[in-house]
Parts: sequence; C-alpha cells; structure tokens
Amino acid sequence: MTRNLVPMLVVALVVVALYYPLMLLANVPVAQQALDNGAALECKTTVACASSLRSPVLPAPMQLWTGFRSLVLPLTAPTSILPNAWATAGNTLLGLLLATLVGIFFAIGIVASRAFERSLLPWVVASQTVPIIALAPMLVVVLGQYGVQGALPKAIIAAFVAFFPITIGVAKGLRSPDPLALELMKTYNASDQQTYLKLRFPASVPYLFTAFKVAITAALIGAIVAEISTVGFQQGLGRMLFENSRASDVVSIWVIMLSSALLGILLVALVGWVERWVTPWQRAR
Amino acid sequence: MVFQAGTVALKEASLEIGSGEFISLIGPSGCGKTTLLRLLADLIQPTSGAIRVGGKTPQEARKSRAYGYVFQAPTLMEWRTVLQNVMLPLEVMGFSPTERRSRAEKMLTLVGLEKFAKNYPWQLSGGMQQRVSIARALAFDPQLLFMDEPFGALDEITRENLNLELLRLWRETRKTIIFVTHSIPEAVFLSTRIVVMTPRPGKIETVIPVDLPQPRGFETRETARFFEIATQVREALRKGHGFEVQE
Repeated sequence: MTRNLVPMLVVALVVVALYYPLMLLANVPVAQQALDNGAALECKTTVACASSLRSPVLPAPMQLWTGFRSLVLPLTAPTSILPNAWATAGNTLLGLLLATLVGIFFAIGIVASRAFERSLLPWVVASQTVPIIALAPMLVVVLGQYGVQGALPKAIIAAFVAFFPITIGVAKGLRSPDPLALELMKTYNASDQQTYLKLRFPASVPYLFTAFKVAITAALIGAIVAEISTVGFQQGLGRMLFENSRASDVVSIWVIMLSSALLGILLVALVGWVERWVTPWQRAR
Repeated sequence: MVFQAGTVALKEASLEIGSGEFISLIGPSGCGKTTLLRLLADLIQPTSGAIRVGGKTPQEARKSRAYGYVFQAPTLMEWRTVLQNVMLPLEVMGFSPTERRSRAEKMLTLVGLEKFAKNYPWQLSGGMQQRVSIARALAFDPQLLFMDEPFGALDEITRENLNLELLRLWRETRKTIIFVTHSIPEAVFLSTRIVVMTPRPGKIETVIPVDLPQPRGFETRETARFFEIATQVREALRKGHGFEVQE
C-alpha cells in the first residue's frame, strides 16, 4: 500500500495541475464578461473572479472543497452526502444481488441449452440497448401500480443494467473448465448436478468477480438514474442531483457527481476485497 | 473405431489383459493407443467389436467406478487444496467425510506428498501435480488404473523418478495398470507386457512380454536384457512402418 501511495499521489497531483488551467480557460471569458458589464463582484482580477463564479463552467478546486464541506457536514443530516451515498450504495448492492440471481439463471440456461441461448440471447441484448433514462420512470410507474415501492424499484432498475455482464461472464465461466476436467468427472460417473457443483460453478467464480466489477458500476448508474426518476421522500445521490439541478446549483452538482464517482471506486474496491477473500487460491499468485 | 470424418483410428485390436498386469501401449502418434484407452474407459464408443472390462461393458465398468484414469495433464482443480483434490472423487461417490479425509491422507502418504496437503496445485511442480492426480485416481481404490502418457510433459530426470515410484505403487497396491506412452525405455522399464501399435490404420503390431525380474530399480535400465527388449520393441515399431525414415 505504501509502495503504491507515491504513484497515486503523483497521478492525483497531475490531475489537479491539469484541471486548474483548464478551469481558468473555461471560466475566464465568463468572468471577463461579468467584469465588463460592471457587475457587483467582490473580486478584482479576472483570474480571481474566474475562480469564484456563482455558476462556473468548471468549478475551481477551492469551490469544490467548500461545496463538499457544506454538503457533507453535518455528517448525519438528511441533506448530507453521506446518508444519501449510503442509500444509493444500498440500492446498488440490492440491484447487484438481483442481477446476480437473474444472471446466473440465464447463464445456466445458455450453457445447458443451445435452444435457450438462441431464443433468449437476442432479447437480452435488446434489453440492454433500451435507454435506461427513458425506461426508468416508466418502470417506476408500472411497479408502483403493483405496490412495489421504496428501495426495490430502484434495485430492479439497477439490476436491469447489471445482469447482462453477469450473464455473459458466468456463461463463459461455466464453459471454462478444461475438456479433460469434464472427462475426469465422467470417469467418476458424476451426475450433471455434481459436475455443476464440483466443477463448473467453482471454475466460474473468478469470471463472476470480473463481471461484478463491470456490473457494479453499471448498477450504480442505474440506481442513480432510478433515484432521479422516483418522486418521493427517499434519499439517494440521484435525488440530491435532481434537487440541486432544479436549484441550478452548479458547484453542488459537481460535488455530487464526484462523490458518486468516489462511491463507484469504493464499490469496485469492495468487490476486489470480497474476491480476495472468496478465492484464496488466487492469492499471492 | 472410426471417427466421424471417416478416418479409421483403430482397426484391429485384439488383446486380453490379466489381473495385476502392467501393460504399456506404445507407438507413434496416430496409432490409436489413446483411442484404445478411451474405448476401455467408455470416454468414446467403438463402431464395432466387443470390449469387456472385468466381465462388464466399458459403460457398466465406468458406472460401477471400476477404474481410475490419469490424464496427460494433472487436471487438478485450482480452487482445491492438494488434499481436497484427492478427496474429489470420494465426494462425488458419496463417501463419508471422515472416510474421505483418511483415504485422501493415506493416498498422499503413498505418493509422498503428505506435507503438501494444504498447498494449492500452483504451488507444486509439474511432477508433484501428476503425483497428486495419481493419488486422486487411486483414492477410491479401483482395481484398474488407466494412464494416458502421464509423464509425457515432464523432464527426463523427474520422469525416471516417477517411473520408479509408479512401480512401487503398483507392487504395493496390486492394481492392473494400462499405460500409454511413446517412450521405449519407459515401456520396457515399467511393463509386464508391451503392446506395440502402428498407425494408418491403427492396429496392434505385436505384444512383447518383459521378463525383467521384479522388483526393478535404476540398475535395471543398465542390464543387457533391458537393451535386448528395447531393441525388440524398436524393431517391431519399425516393421509396422511406425518409423519409415527416421532412426
């Protein structure tokens, strides 16, 4: 960890160093125009004004920091990012769970039956080309009619975008055992069920985790889109985005976006941590 | 045995093997030696002819778990420890957990790997991995052991050591072993009889008895009789157009 700390810091510094001039480049014309129009600004120079615009094109690092502090503190307030990110993480993980169940079911079908693969896979692919932003509000309405409310509709929408990589990954994993290993099971006169339990499922675990890393980021986006589409008192980063965009609070929107990116990194790291724990044979390899 | 494309893989193969024998099938690539082994193991079915394994059809023999099969590659499950790999057939066959453990531990001791029970396969050398796969094949105590070029991928030194160890295993367990190889010294050293096979179409050229005294050791390879039999095998292979230009 300490060995990786230096490169991590270097990359972070480079990102900030590149961001700062870019921010100035984007904001200076706006600041210049405001100064030219004689607006009542507290700043004197163009550069100072560019870093403190109320509605910047790109917020200055300092603005982001101040915005972040005001959105996070106090930690437990219902308007703080923390409980909202927690709610979104919950929706995402519940969605991933649903996606895993559906994905494994489809993957077994695909591997077990060519007819199942031929007839179902086109529909699965088609489902992934539907713009989630259009589908989500309708799904919420339809589900709401049947009394499905709270976290579940959001999890279902998250699962909708996450089950595809899991299906494909697990199907590949179930097919990954060496032909010799399958013959070995045959020499033991193993049943199909035993071959799945002792060979195909364990062999697909590393593929499942690779799929999880793709699926969990997709599920996060799905959950946020679902939160934006859901009207109600529930929490979530999506709802925060929705409210701040109605208030045209540019800096807050940026802060929430960066927070959801951070949440994505944490979720992928969580998958990696669980993977190391579940697949000890891959450790230290 | 005819493959789907119409290639005759194995045409004439008539052979009777007694209990407790160590039979080697030797021949160049394409002579059908692996095909013959796979027929015996019911991994493929013959187009014509009759095979009996201990009085049963190959399918009946497979279903009654009459044989253990060792492949060219160790085919160990990478997510299982060495001990768990040896326990795999016992799990499939429904042995009790205590029985599984005690049998697997005994087998690992038999192949001299008891200290590596908790290791994962990737932590072992190729030769050690193949020993684990032999222990696994013997774990459920089948009377028959089929081995398909088990040491083909190993270096010469490891190979000779494992040959010696296999002979010891054979003496101690009194199994019937059918062993596919394309190494003449290996076949002569291990076998009680050598089945020489030739290709296009695959058939049994001749069967050569090996009367080298038991137990055999490293010095056996240096006796005059060893070379005589090796020469006999080599000539049988050449006669069957096994090697047309080489040598």
